[in-house]
Formats: sequence, structure tokens, C-alpha cells
Amino acid sequence: MLFAVFFPLLLACLIPFLSRYKHKVHTGFFVLLAPLSIFLYFVSFIGHDFEPVMKSYPWIPSLDITLNFHLDGLSLLFVLLISGIGALVTFYSIYYLHKSERLGHFYVYLLLFMAAMFGVVLSDNVFVLYTFWELTSISSFLLIGYWNHRERSRYGALKSMLITVFGGLSLLGAFLLLTVITKTTSIHEMIQQADLILSSDYLPLIMTFIFLGAFTKSAQFPFHIWLPDAMEAPTPVSAYLHSATMVKAGIFLIARFSPIFSTNEWFFIIVSGIGIITLCWGSYMAVRQTDLKGILAFSTISQLGMIMAMLGFGTEAAIFGAVFHILNHATFKGSLFMIAGIVDHETGTRDIRKLGGLMTLMPISATLAFFGTFSMAGVPLPFLNGFYSKEVFFESTLELNNTSLAFAEILRTAIPYLAVFGSIFTFVYSMYLVFGTFRGEKHLDQLPKKPHEAPIGMLIAPSILILGVIIIGLFPNLVNESFLAHTASAILGEAYHPHEIKFWHGFITPLKMSLVVVGVGTVLFIFRKKWSGVYQAIPGRLSMNKVYDTIVNGTKTVSARITNSYMNGSLRRYMALILAAIIVVSLGTMYLTDGFTIELHPDTLADIKLPEILVAATMAIAAITTIFTRNRIAAILILGVVGYGLSILFVIYRAPDLALTQLVVETITVGLFLLCFYHLPNLRPRTESIGFKSVNLIISIGFGLLMTLIAISAHSSKWYSTIADYFIHTSHDLGGGDNVVNVILVDMRGLDTLFEITVLGIAALGIYGLIKLRAKKGAE
Amino acid sequence: MISNLAVLPIVIPMIAGILLAFFHKKIPLVRSLAKILTTTNTLVVLFIWLYVKENGAVILETGGWEAPYGIILVADLLSITLVLTTNIIGIAAVFYAPASLSKKQEEFYFYTFFFLLITGVSGAFITGDLFNLFVFFEVLLMASYALIVLGGGKVQLRESIKYVLINLFSSMLFVTAVAFLYSVVGTVNMAHIAERVQGVEQKGILTTIGILLFFVFGTKAALFPLYYWLPKPYTVPNPVVSALFGALLTKVGIYSILRVFTLIFIHDTDFTHTFFLWIAGLTLIFGVIGALSTNNIKLIVAYNIIPAVGFMLIGIAIFNETSLSGTVYYLIHDMIIKAALFLLVGAVVYLTGTTDLRKMKGLIHHYPLLGWLFFLSSFVLAGIPPFSGFIGKLQLLKGAFEEGEILIVIVGLLASLLILLSMIRIFIQAFWGEKDETVTVNKAAARRFTLPVVFLLFFSVFLGVGAELIFPSVEQIADYLMNPEIYIQSVLKE
Amino acid sequence: MEIIMSILAGILFTTGIYNLLQKQLLRIIIGTGLISHGAHLFILTMGKLKTGLPPILEHGDTNPDHYTDPLPQALILTSIVISFGVTSLLLVLAYRASKENETDNMDLLRGNEND
Repeated sequence: MLFAVFFPLLLACLIPFLSRYKHKVHTGFFVLLAPLSIFLYFVSFIGHDFEPVMKSYPWIPSLDITLNFHLDGLSLLFVLLISGIGALVTFYSIYYLHKSERLGHFYVYLLLFMAAMFGVVLSDNVFVLYTFWELTSISSFLLIGYWNHRERSRYGALKSMLITVFGGLSLLGAFLLLTVITKTTSIHEMIQQADLILSSDYLPLIMTFIFLGAFTKSAQFPFHIWLPDAMEAPTPVSAYLHSATMVKAGIFLIARFSPIFSTNEWFFIIVSGIGIITLCWGSYMAVRQTDLKGILAFSTISQLGMIMAMLGFGTEAAIFGAVFHILNHATFKGSLFMIAGIVDHETGTRDIRKLGGLMTLMPISATLAFFGTFSMAGVPLPFLNGFYSKEVFFESTLELNNTSLAFAEILRTAIPYLAVFGSIFTFVYSMYLVFGTFRGEKHLDQLPKKPHEAPIGMLIAPSILILGVIIIGLFPNLVNESFLAHTASAILGEAYHPHEIKFWHGFITPLKMSLVVVGVGTVLFIFRKKWSGVYQAIPGRLSMNKVYDTIVNGTKTVSARITNSYMNGSLRRYMALILAAIIVVSLGTMYLTDGFTIELHPDTLADIKLPEILVAATMAIAAITTIFTRNRIAAILILGVVGYGLSILFVIYRAPDLALTQLVVETITVGLFLLCFYHLPNLRPRTESIGFKSVNLIISIGFGLLMTLIAISAHSSKWYSTIADYFIHTSHDLGGGDNVVNVILVDMRGLDTLFEITVLGIAALGIYGLIKLRAKKGAE
Repeated sequence: MISNLAVLPIVIPMIAGILLAFFHKKIPLVRSLAKILTTTNTLVVLFIWLYVKENGAVILETGGWEAPYGIILVADLLSITLVLTTNIIGIAAVFYAPASLSKKQEEFYFYTFFFLLITGVSGAFITGDLFNLFVFFEVLLMASYALIVLGGGKVQLRESIKYVLINLFSSMLFVTAVAFLYSVVGTVNMAHIAERVQGVEQKGILTTIGILLFFVFGTKAALFPLYYWLPKPYTVPNPVVSALFGALLTKVGIYSILRVFTLIFIHDTDFTHTFFLWIAGLTLIFGVIGALSTNNIKLIVAYNIIPAVGFMLIGIAIFNETSLSGTVYYLIHDMIIKAALFLLVGAVVYLTGTTDLRKMKGLIHHYPLLGWLFFLSSFVLAGIPPFSGFIGKLQLLKGAFEEGEILIVIVGLLASLLILLSMIRIFIQAFWGEKDETVTVNKAAARRFTLPVVFLLFFSVFLGVGAELIFPSVEQIADYLMNPEIYIQSVLKE
Repeated sequence: MEIIMSILAGILFTTGIYNLLQKQLLRIIIGTGLISHGAHLFILTMGKLKTGLPPILEHGDTNPDHYTDPLPQALILTSIVISFGVTSLLLVLAYRASKENETDNMDLLRGNEND
């Protein structure tokens, strides 16, 4: 199983080399190797006696992140889909992508995606699952942006990435919470602790996170908006990622976790509710599209909604329906995408308004398309698989579990009607798609190319899929017991006993519903032009795309506005904000923690003597004068006065070394000041507004006050004797000197001194550079 | 003798710096010497790292003065891991420098300043003495002042002034706070302070001093609401200088907070650490808002420093073993990726001649490797697995959940998305798009820039994919930080 | 006396910060000078101001009560030297920056996004 995940990755590493020979052998042939071999390997697991397999490989055991690959029925279905459709799509792409394209890139991304997808469906470890989950988003981003010279491609790529990564991160949130609650990172161990999770206070949050992850990935309303824009990717990619596999990762996720959550009523309400809304909205909007791939995109959205809704129902029948439809959808939608690609390839356009009447020119494609669309529409014909799963869907909407919440009850009654509503539009867009393209008038003059049937190679892959449609249609029970039943069991968390699927059940409600769909659908399709005005009203100008655009553009404009409002490059502004924060928080802390103490006991304080007072007063006055003076020389000299005052204080408080140093340093500094500022303009009169002054005043007084208060409290809280006593004791004996300060500087704290000198050295070199090395004028 | 190991990571680069000052005119010689010396120093540090990992912290009493009286150097696993990371970045910087700097800048002591910056940073990580920490802060700041002004014109000098002034102010505040603390507990040795703080009854004043120190370190670390000075000045010097700043300077700040608030001020965590959580959240929010606000690609990267620091502070605020392991892991990750990003963006600016995103397009067609490296580093930065950012973030957020702090996790997750948006916007706008045939392509220069970036990103990937080889050590560090008495005992030898 | 010294240091900080918040570069640098004086005074005050001899041992007398606290003095000394280095660099930088930009008004030195 490790092989399944890593073979595509390994191959991806080789592709850049293999693609050098692309003019001899199309790179796609090498790529085909991976999905094909994996498909063949996993097909052998199908059988009545299938038992889940678990394989573990260590990765980061200390974080409980282990490569646990768990192959149960659910993952088996997905693995086969990914590899099977993968093989067909790769084969198709060989004919779709010309050798002049950057094939190497394309196939590296594709293989990356394939590996990631295998990882998602096989991982039992939540964090490994998350890793692969994000990797699918990244590879999808690259594939959508494959033709990145197009503006639309870039837009679509960013959109899909943002929405799916948003979902991914929310999924990470869910996984983190689940891990913290259950103390395990393994999904199957979490399922065993379902009760613990269900009784957790964080349950609503976990479910929200998981739903966000699943709904964004599976393009559920209102997150569906990325999928239509993802159609900018080359068509094989749309067929593969954006219809058959990646978008089903969300479905997979809900299915994977449904043994834990399905008993919760909100699971039903949200998953079914969103699913059914998506079904209706997607099919309704599909009718309005003009781009073939646009129709298919909305169709995919709608079909995913339907599967999601069935998972939400949670009944045995519904789960089976969901599983069955996952398979069926992959067959018909995959083939339809490929045919849309063929039409595009052969006519040069996908605009349905320019197409029409291609039946005679492209008979094989048209035939395939008819099978595909009719199956999608759920037309009651015994050889179309789409009909069977739709029947199961209708049936399941009628047999919902009883609920206790009033709100859920309303939903329960509404669901069958909404299901029919959505299916009617499904019918309409299916007919619109196939008839609009292959029947009706030809507009050959509007087509960029002269259309003809596609090369045989391109037709093989869709033909195989349509063959699947027919075979499953004819023998719906073929894969039932040996395959799908295992999948259903995995989702239900208990053994599922398959029922036989029959074409004819008698004239029962689901069949009536189907007939209503076909009847009303036909009428609506024929008179499509008459009622298309309804789109002016709904959605009208409302659209989720606008919301997205507003948010994404908004992040830019709003953040620019916020940031520019305070980051204006003004040093004063920055200082003021920093100081204000320090003052408010520190004073607040002091107040809240009762941090202020003052001790006025004369024994602990030095006496107040006149000389000191005089010096202090002079210093204070000098300091204040610096604010008012206008003469730069005077200001510098006054600063010197403060410095000299300080050295006098050092003398008074018995710090001779300090006094000396201070005296020397102060003198040099004043000299430097004079040197540097001699040539600069004089101090201007301060013409600031009162507001400016008072803000400055408040901040500076506040800060001075803060420091004084802390100093007084700190000095009043001397709880310990100082380590300096030790210095006095040992200075002579161990330090070999009587001047304790000197001994401290050169010995006990010699390291400080060493690096203090280093600082001076750097300063000297820096100054030298500043003076000597000048950028040329206007060099910047 | 083994205890002397602790001083080597400080002394080797210092001697290297001084040595290179003498040959400053002989550029080829200086370049090769610098490469040899950083590599040697890194190997020495690697050796110490291995030793410490096996045998526990190496403690050196400088000058033979016993703790707590002399200056004590403590090379514990946390310090030495960070020193090792610093030196790895140093290697990348030295190899990138010749391609990026002008001859004149190299001649005017770039390498000397570089080595002294490494000295200061390593010293700050290793010292066990609060006042000595101040001295090392000054060494690294002074080196950074010299580097930021190196060969600068108008804009560079203008922004440098702001940078110097704000840092000067916070340094003054730092010494003052150390003095206050000295007054209360009568010592400047960190282990000794920690021990004495635990024995104090009335702790209000200590909390206040603690908050003051938090602001000092927070200013260096660029936390909300103190970060205003950071973004712009970080964009003006040469990219190699920006990379060193972005990778190292703020991290010294956050390291100091980590050290001081897991060792010393842990007496009122309800108050202090709850406050930190708010600061962390606001830092994340305002940081990403800043990163989204501009079209200047250097500025985008510079703003991205801020939310990263916010992430690291979450771990300190939550203060449990899981979250602290997250902080430490994130710290290592962020040092590397920030250096890589500044170097990358520097290369882009060099090759295109503009910092304005709107003037760039289709670069990937000319410089594919550069483009993919940028793409990769965007995901590394946003913490997408399996890269280094994820492991740290995982632990941080898990730790927050363990304490029931839901809101900060949601903020953290959203911030990750927006960080990714800010980066991927650059990728889409600058690298994707039509090939611009009009530009002159300088493949040779691009190649010189890429090698150091590849070197750094190798570690980013390794720290993610090979986390098993590193994480147990980080877990050990987190456990150690949660039990400060180990530190105290090993320093004071009780 | 400690209280008075604390207040004086507080005043030095206040005036320093007031100058720091001005527009003209010279005033700002003078502000930093005042702040560093204030900081040093704070350190001094945090030792014992009360009496005692200078910390130069006399006649082998090692009773700490007879001397002033030597450690703050050592710290101040280190700090003075460092401040001196920083201030010198700052002065030259200020000189060069105002020459290059042809103004010493910080309000005119804000810059914009893309330079």
C-alpha cells in the first residue's frame, strides 16, 4: 500500500527526465504505468470475503504521526476510482495534450495529485490524511493554473486554493480537537471512542470544522463557487480532479467520520440540508450556463450535493445509494467531461450557443454523449446506471429516520420535494447539454475549426466509461455484494446486507417521482427560452462569487487602509504608540497586582542633604530647559550640564571610577555633538499644535512617573542581601585587587567588559564606514 | 575542561570577526576565510550540540568565579540548538553575500560585522546572566546598526535612524529593568534570580518588572503593539542583511521572553501568561493584515515576521509542555524560512530591479528554479505539511486546545490561510503569467542566489519530513523548560 | 534621598521622552542622552545610596556594610561605555542621514511604500 502512495511520487520525480523524450514517446505513456498497475493490484481485493487490511510504517512516532494505511471497503472504492479513472484520463490526455505543451509539468502535477489522493483515502492517521489533503489542494492549484498565462486560470487557481485550503485548515482544527479528546491520532481508534467524542463539550465545534473541510472540498453550497472557475484547467484534469476524485474527497471525509457523528441529529440536519440545497442550486444554475464545462461543473456540484444528502440521511438504503452513486457518477460524468473535451478539441469552442448539429459530424461522440446524459438525467431505461441510483435516492428520501427536533422534522418533509425539484433541473440541463451540442442547427461559420470526429485514441477512454454505464445498468447487482456492500458497511460502521436492485419494483412512489421528473423536465426543456427570465430574479445580481471577490479584494484594500492608518513612517507616531502601551499596561499591572510599595524608614534611606538637592535641582532644571531652548549649541551644552551633574552625584555617592568615566565620556560626547550638528540647521521654534504638545506631555510624564514608581517600589522591596557582598569579601583574596569595582570589571564580570570593548570597536568601524563609504547620489 | 565548550560559539566568531577586519581590502581572501570560518564554527557547534544532547547542559563559570557571582554561560539544549540554527543561517548568508553585496560593502567590514552579529546572537542565547544578556544584546545591536547603514544612501539612512533610535530606547529600558530587578532580589544571575523570586511573598512589584522586561524583549521580538519599527527598516539594507535580521534579531527577543517567562517570572502565570495570549492573538492579526496590505514584496516578507512571532508567543502563553515544544520547533523553523525568504525575495528584486509586485510577471519562465523555491517556501511559511512549519504549529495549537483556548486556535488557523494568501499572491503575480520577452535575463546571477536558498530550504523540508530526528530533542527542551528547577540546580550546583 | 533620586531620574526620563517625541533630529538625540543619564541614575539608586566608603578596600576590611554597593557601579560603567558607542554612531548616522535627505525633520523622513 505504501507502494500505491509512493509509486506515483517516485514516478513524478522521474518525469522531468522522461519528458525530454516527449517527441519520441508521449510522456503520458510512462505515467499510465502508475494508475494501471495500482488499479490491477487493488482490483484483486474485490470479493465476498474482503477483509479490511491495515499496514503501518513509522514516520514521526514521537508525534504519533504514523503512516497507517487502512484499506477497508470505503477506501477500496475510492482507490479503484482514483486509479481506474486515473488510467483512463491519462490515456485520454495522451491524445488531448499536444507534444508541444509542457508535458513534464502536467504529468508531475497529475502524479502528485494521484499520490495525494491515494494518501487521503488510505490514511488512518488524521495528520497524515491532512497532509495529503493539502497536497491535493496544492496539486489542483497547479493543474488549474497550468495555462497560467491566462488571467482566468490564475483567478481560478487562487480561488480553488483559498477555499480548499481554508477547508483544510478547518479540518486540521477538527483533527487537533479530536486528537486532544481521544488521545489518539488514528481514525479507527477514534471511531471506537465515538461516545467520548459525542459527549464532549467541543462536539459542535468539531462537527463545524469537519463540515467546513468536507463542504469546501466537495464544492457544497455556498463554497461551490471555486469549481466552475476550476474548469480553466485542461479537460482531462476537470474530468479527473474536478468531477471524479478530488471533489469526492469531502464526501469521503463525511463517510469516513459518519460512524462517529451519524447518530447526532445535527449531522442529519446539516449534511442533508446542505446536500439537498446544493443539489437544487447546482442543477438550477447548470441550465443557465453557456460553457459546456460550466454546465458539467454545476452538474457535478449538484450530483455531489445529492451524494452528500444521502450520507446525511444515514439510513442503510441511503448509504448504499450514496456509494452506488459515487461509482455511477464517476462513470457518466467522467465520460461527459471527456466528450466535452473532444468537442472543444475538434471545434475550438465550448460555447454551447455556437455549437449544434454535431451529431452527423461526430457520430460516435454524440452516441456516447447520449448514453452519458441520459444516465445522468436518470431516464428510466434498464441499461443506464444513473437511473438505478436515482431510484435509490428517491426511495431513501421517503424513508428518513425519525427525528425529535422540530426543525429537522420540517427538513424531513421537505426533502422528497426538493429532491424532485433538483432532479427536474438535472433532467433539463442534461437534455440541454446533449441536444444543444449535437442536435439542432449547425453554426459551422461560428466555429474556429472545422469539426470532425475525434481520433480513435481519444474516444477509447470515454467509450470504456460508457460501457461501464451500460454494464452496471444491465447488471446492477454485479458489484453489489462483492464490492459496494463492503463500502456501505465501512460507512455504516456495521455489516450491510445488500438488497437486490431491480429495474421494476412495481408502480411505487420512487418511480412516480422519476416520471414526474421526466415529464416536467421535458416540458421545461422545450420551453426553456420562455422561462429563462427567472434567472434575472434568482440569483439575479446576487452571487457567492461576488462575496468571494469582495472578501479577497477586501483583504487587500481593508488591510491596506488599516495598516496605512498607523504605519505612516513617522518615528514619533511609533514611539508614542509603544510608550503609551508600556505605560498603560505596566501601570495597570502595578495597580492590579498591588505592586506599589514605599518604605520611608530613615534607617534604610540615605539622608537628604543640601549639596545633593542642589545638584539634583540643577540637573532637573537643565533637563527641562532642553525642551525650551532654541539654540542648538545651548541645547547641547545643557545636556552636558546634566551629564556633569550626574558625575557629581557619582562623586557624592562614592563612585569615583564612575565619576571619572562619566566626566570623560560626557566631554567627548558634547564635542561630538558639536562637531556633527555644527553644520546642520538651527533648532526651529516649536510650532506644534496644542494637541501635539499635550499628547507628548502626557506620554512623557506618564512614562517618567511609571519609572519613578517602579524604582521606589523596587527600592522598598529589598528582600535579599546582594551578591555584591561576596565581591567585597573576595576581591582582595581571590581577585587580587582592592578596588572592588575594577576587580568586578576585569575579573568577575570580565566577559561584560570584553564585549563592551567589542561594542566600541564595532561602533568605530561602523562610523568609519558611514563616513568613508557613500552611495552614489541617486543610486537608489 | 569540557565546560569551556560553552564559550567557543561566542569566541570563535568574535576572533573571526577581528581577524577579517585586518584583511578587509583583500576581498577574495576574506570571502574564502569567511566561508571556512563559519563552516568550522558550525561544525564545532554541531559537536557541542551532540555533546549536550547526550550529557546535558554545559555550564561554564567564566573567570572561575562560582555561580551566582561570576558570569555563567549555560549551553543547554535550547541555547545550543538555537546557536546551531543561527550558524546554519550564517553559512547561507556568507555564501550568498558575494553575489549580493557590492565590492565596497564587502571591503567596509561586512564580514567583520557579520561575525560579530553571530557573536552577539550566540552570546545572547548562551549567557545565564541577565546583565550579560544586555551586553550581548548591545553587541548584536551594534553589529546590526553597522550592517543596516552599510553603504547606504538616502532611504537606507533614513530608515536606519528609526531602527537605531527605537532599539536604543529599548536598550535603556532594559538596563533600567535589570537594575530594578537587582534591587529586589540582589542578583543578576538568572538561575539565582529565579530561585529567589520563588521565595518572595509579595510579588506585585516583580510582576510589574516582569511586564517591563516583557516590553523590552517584545520590542525586539516585534510583538503587538511594539512592532511598528520593524517592517520598513528591514527592507532597506542588502538582502543578506535583511535575511540575517529577519532570521535572528526578532528571534533573540522571543527567545529571551521564552527563557525569562519559563524560568523567572512564573509566579503569576494567570495574569502574565493570559496577557501574553491576547498579545499573541493581536500580533497574529495585525501581522497578517500588514502582510496583505502592500505590493512591495520585501515588505510583505518583512511583515510576515510578525505573525510568526505571534505563533511562538502562543506557546509561551499557553505554557504547557506541548505548546512549548511547539514554540521551540516553530522558532527553529522560522529562523530558517525567514532567512530563505529574504534571500529569495532579494534575488527577485535584484533580477527584476523593482520591489513592486505590480511590475512583475512571468518570472517562472525565465527562472524556473527560483519560482519553485518560492512556491515551496510559501507553503513552508504557511505551515502546510509535511514541512517544518507544520510540526511547530501542530504542537502550538494542540497545546492551546489542551487548555481549552479555542479562540486563539481559530485565529491561528485563519492567520495561516492569510499568510499563504500573501505569499501565493506574489507567486501568482510575479512568477505566473505571460513570459515577458522584453526583460534581460541574468541566469548566472540567479544561479548564484539559488544555492544558499536551496541549502536553507533543505533544512525546512528536513525539519518536516525528518521531524522524528529532531522533535524528540525539542520535546526534551520543552520538558526542561517546564521544570525550571533543573536549570537552577545545574547552575547553582545545589 | 533615594526617593528624590528616583524622582530626578523620572524627570530625566520625562524630559528625555518629551524630546524624543519631537520632530527635529537633534532634539531626539538629546532626548536619548537624557534617557541614558536617567537610566544610569536609576541603577545607582538601586544600589545602596546610604553612606559607606567607596568600594575600595582599606586595611583588609571586608565588611560589606562599610562600603557602597560595587556591583551597580560596575554595571553603570559598562553601560556608560556602551551608550557612548551607540551615541557616537547615532550622531554620525544622524549627520549623514540629514545630509543625504537634506532635512533633519523626522516628519519629512517618513518615506513611502515602494522605496
